[in-house]
Amino acid sequence: MKAIEPDAHERQLIEAAQRDPSRFGELYESNFDRVYAFVARRVPSREEAEDLTAEVFHQALAGLTKFEWQGTPFAAWLVGIASHLIAHRWQRAAREVEVSADELESFGAPEETERQAMFAQLVDRLPDDQRHVIRRRFLDQRSIRDIAQELGRSEGAVKQLQFRAIANLRNQARSRHA
Amino acid sequence: MHNFAADQLEEAVNTLIAGKPFHPNQWDPQVEPLLPIAAELQYLPRAEFRARLRADLLYRTRHATFDRALSLRPAAQPAAVSKPRASSESVVPPLFSTGNVSFPMRGSHLAISFALHVAALALVAALGWWMVENRAAVRSTLAGLIPTDIYLLPPARGEAQGGGSGGDQDKMKASHGTAPRFSSEQLTPPRVIVRSEAPRLSAEPTVISPADVVLPQSPQAGDPMSRIFAPPSNGTGSGGGIGSGQGGGVGSGEGPGVGDGRGGGIGAGVFRVGGGVTAPRAIYDPDPEYSEEARRAKFQGSVVLGAIIGPDGRPRDLRVARSLGMGLDQKALEAVTKWRFSPAMKDGQPVAVQVNIEVSFRLY
Repeated sequence: MKAIEPDAHERQLIEAAQRDPSRFGELYESNFDRVYAFVARRVPSREEAEDLTAEVFHQALAGLTKFEWQGTPFAAWLVGIASHLIAHRWQRAAREVEVSADELESFGAPEETERQAMFAQLVDRLPDDQRHVIRRRFLDQRSIRDIAQELGRSEGAVKQLQFRAIANLRNQARSRHA
Repeated sequence: MHNFAADQLEEAVNTLIAGKPFHPNQWDPQVEPLLPIAAELQYLPRAEFRARLRADLLYRTRHATFDRALSLRPAAQPAAVSKPRASSESVVPPLFSTGNVSFPMRGSHLAISFALHVAALALVAALGWWMVENRAAVRSTLAGLIPTDIYLLPPARGEAQGGGSGGDQDKMKASHGTAPRFSSEQLTPPRVIVRSEAPRLSAEPTVISPADVVLPQSPQAGDPMSRIFAPPSNGTGSGGGIGSGQGGGVGSGEGPGVGDGRGGGIGAGVFRVGGGVTAPRAIYDPDPEYSEEARRAKFQGSVVLGAIIGPDGRPRDLRVARSLGMGLDQKALEAVTKWRFSPAMKDGQPVAVQVNIEVSFRLY
């Protein structure tokens, strides 16, 4: 995954999408993992993360024509929208739940977001059976037994697939970092 | 890799998913470095959500002009953010695709769909009403007698046909003689040997046949076709009469006529339409059902049935004269069995006649 740095290609994509909104899909694909990773760590549930991520992209699309290229990465603009939306949501929730100032200040940490987005892409490159196990186990939160029945394999074999997949992700992450 | 490490990693994943805290030091050295990765995986996006949002955005880009007309506020002013309309919209999956694609569901779509369904229902109701109002016309195209059809037996030219027989289960064949007088009704069957010499109510023996048919008469009653002149016998048949068949007639057939046919009259068969015999008319003819196989195949055509319509107006001796297949022959037989007729008339009297019936199967 590329770091959040402006480049000429991204600028071209933005200008193309401003002229023709149907090109927004390319911006969406290149920034979705980053935005979702940023939001998912800051809200308590997956449903809320999806809701907020959708709002970020809807607002980005609606305000795209007013976006002015000033050398700032597009992802930073999206993360800014996400920060505002989360703050807005927390302000509403704060009427019932007291939110600490530290939490409100924790909208930074781009490395963490980048790392999370990277894992989302690495999972897509896993072998089919390992990717299936990771998605069913972590996204759908299905038990090892359920996954074993789906795949027609033993529970021990599925546990080993899970182990290999996570070890595989760790190795790839380390090699990228290096 | 050992199973132990895989088991322990699964235990750690369970703890993570349950949201419980765990102490890093409690794990195997093989497992411990994997725990941060497992923690990251909790925040992976769902593939279907990603695809669904992409489809939603694609839909919005196609209606970008419309959205801009709604003056959505720019995202740089989050304090004044209004929730985009799509957030409250439901999303429906695609109808003809198995991929992770879905489409936003809008009120206008529902309204159009509702209107189309109402229009379709109204059309069906109107067609049903029309068919009920024009039931006779519809039915006439579905099934009916076909007196002018090529499959109808040709009317007899100048003479009626028919037949009959009888007997009283004698061991001897019927003896030769002449048939009794022809009549349109029969009170007493003919006899060569009269078993009851002193009946309480006597009546002239007759056979049923058109009254305008005249055969030579002699004092000796018997079967005109028999070559046995003595001893006298009523024949080996049953049901009264003379002969080897059944019924109250004369000969080897069935019924109260003369000959080897059936029913009334003379010869080899029941009455046929023509020669003074009127055609029966259907007075109750429920529509035949379609077989499921033919309906699926949208199969249409006609079945021709041969039948004898009795004096009581009931069809009998049904047989398939021209088959259509796909279960429609059986459906035609079932339907015509239920039909009732105004019987054929001969000299003002109801008589049995043989007719062909065409049952048409049409899909509308």
